[in-house]
Amino acid sequence: MILELRDIHKSFGEKKVLTGVSFRAESGKAFGLLGRNGAGKTTSIRILMGVFPADSGEVLVDGKPIDHRSIGMGYLPEERGLYPKKKIIDQLIYFAELKGMRYADAVKAVDRWLERLEMTEYRDKRLDTLSKGNQQKIQLITALAHDPEVVILDEPFSGLDPVNAMLLKDVVKEEIQRGKIVLFSSHQMSYIEEFCDSVAIINKGVVAITGELHDIKREYPRDTLVVRSADSREIADGVRGASLDENGDVIIKLSSPEDKMDVLRELSARYDIDEAKVFEPSLNDIFVQYAGD
Amino acid sequence: MGQFGKILKFELKGYFTNKVFVGITVFLVVVLAVVLFFPRAMDLIGGGDEPEPGEPGAEEDREVMLLSGGGEDALEALREAFPEYEVKLTDGDAAAAVTSGEASFAIVMDGPGAFTYFVDNLSIYDENAQRASEALTGVYRLTALTDAGLSESEAREIMDSQVSFEVESLGVDQGENFFYTYIMIFALYMVILLYGQMVATNVATEKSSRAMELLVTSAKPTSMMFGKVVASCLAGFAQIICIFGSAIVFYNMNRAWWGDNPIIGLIFDMPPALLVYMLVFFVLGFFIYAFMFGAIGSTASKLEDINTSVMPVTLIFIAGFMVVVFGMTSGSVDNPLMIACSYIPFTSPMAMFTRIAMSHPAFYEIAISIVILVASCLGVGIAAAKIYRVGVLLYGGKPKMRDILRAVRNA
Repeated sequence: MILELRDIHKSFGEKKVLTGVSFRAESGKAFGLLGRNGAGKTTSIRILMGVFPADSGEVLVDGKPIDHRSIGMGYLPEERGLYPKKKIIDQLIYFAELKGMRYADAVKAVDRWLERLEMTEYRDKRLDTLSKGNQQKIQLITALAHDPEVVILDEPFSGLDPVNAMLLKDVVKEEIQRGKIVLFSSHQMSYIEEFCDSVAIINKGVVAITGELHDIKREYPRDTLVVRSADSREIADGVRGASLDENGDVIIKLSSPEDKMDVLRELSARYDIDEAKVFEPSLNDIFVQYAGD
Repeated sequence: MGQFGKILKFELKGYFTNKVFVGITVFLVVVLAVVLFFPRAMDLIGGGDEPEPGEPGAEEDREVMLLSGGGEDALEALREAFPEYEVKLTDGDAAAAVTSGEASFAIVMDGPGAFTYFVDNLSIYDENAQRASEALTGVYRLTALTDAGLSESEAREIMDSQVSFEVESLGVDQGENFFYTYIMIFALYMVILLYGQMVATNVATEKSSRAMELLVTSAKPTSMMFGKVVASCLAGFAQIICIFGSAIVFYNMNRAWWGDNPIIGLIFDMPPALLVYMLVFFVLGFFIYAFMFGAIGSTASKLEDINTSVMPVTLIFIAGFMVVVFGMTSGSVDNPLMIACSYIPFTSPMAMFTRIAMSHPAFYEIAISIVILVASCLGVGIAAAKIYRVGVLLYGGKPKMRDILRAVRNA
């Protein structure tokens, strides 16, 4: 399944929030939706989920306009919150039912997820008796219990301790493996980089760059080498264009990408090299470049 | 079961598992049980030990009233009129005795046809002066008639004679209907205000707890709005049926003990047709206000905003209630203001119902009123769902009416 947003525009009153958002996400892959605060991520997600219509543009599934009744969607909003005073099991079943599940199926699915996320002991407790991290796990169940084809997770890792973060990572990987479209929105670039094959960076209501992360990185000029060596100081002093970075690695600026093999041969002949690679920008670097002012 | 049904079920469960809701209902039923079983319980406990009315109790238990400047016949007449008091003649300062607490009150004769009533604190229910006046007027007239030459028996015959009359109301007896109409209007008033507030708070809580973020992506706003309003209506009805139903059951169990109490009898003697009208106006009135309260709740970002936001609607409602109650108490339920109010959808549930109960509006009048109300309910319901849909996603400051209207137009 391919989910595609095509040239979405949306204004609220005078305020233009989206002025041309397009991206596509595929089944069995995770997609990263990035952008600074107020860039238009949540509005894009709401249009994708059919909360309100776009002023213009299309949301397509396999090339056809989306039918929200036939595509299951799960959503973990950035602004977390359920009913604090109600029993956990009651509200989880309620949300699963609202998503179209029958009562008996909803109970089964919710219980399975409570067990999967190690939350069964809290089943009959009130939500507000739980810690923030555990409340977040409960909320995650509302996004997953009805087994949706599209899972939208907005800042899923914020507030989780490392053990829970690991648990969530496993769950997300499973969902991807099961052929779901997983849409991530996060400011924690390391997680996006770990999961997402494709990204879109939204800046001021417009998609600044989108595509396979791998391809985006390769588009950067490949004229810088990063070398790790015990002789890094000697290399920095002895090789033209070389300098030390803050980690103690040697950065060698090539006069042209074609010189790469010559330089590497020269280095390996003269010095004890542990590792040498072409420098690729991190997602963080790309984000700062495209989402900055 | 569609989304509406699921929302309805969830909301209803919320009401019926709410400890405050259940607690208040049980409390009111218990209070009614206590009140309505009271005469029976007194009868069982007290038995025949109580003194018969009229039989004077122990002398020292009775409070003292003083008579100053009257004769033996005046004293006798007052003793008859105030059997619960010990009536004493005094020559001293009666007013001082009242102030010091020696006597409850004092009657000081200023002449054969005038007296002054001295009492420490005058209660608004104090009828002692009237009772004394009646008793002393009798004495005064009897004396005057015998002085004019009539024998005492002739004089008494003249004074006891009365012109008899009977009342036959061709329409509705307003006195008879007043109590249950008042109770129903008041129940409507309480239920709409209480449950309207609950709907508004309920929506605002979902919004402020951000459960709304998830709800808007899971359910249609019209389903949510109607689900909530219908649930609160059913919960309100369940509560009313519990309270009124138990009152009727308790009353019938104790009917023999209440037999001669006219007010209680009138309250429980309402015609079934009126109950049907009550149901119709109750449901429609409830809906129209609950929709408005729900829409208002959706525009509030914080729970604290609710009280001020609902004020305009509450004021309209209270104004309508006032008009109806004044109409009822003044006896002119068909005055022009009441007639106008019985067609305006925000006041007609109370105004038209009162007119049906206490007057006899033509059937077409009732029909027009109901049609207007039904149409308005639908209109308000749809508008409320639209406001709700826009309102629930508006965070930040309190949105201005203009912003909401614009957003609704765009939605």
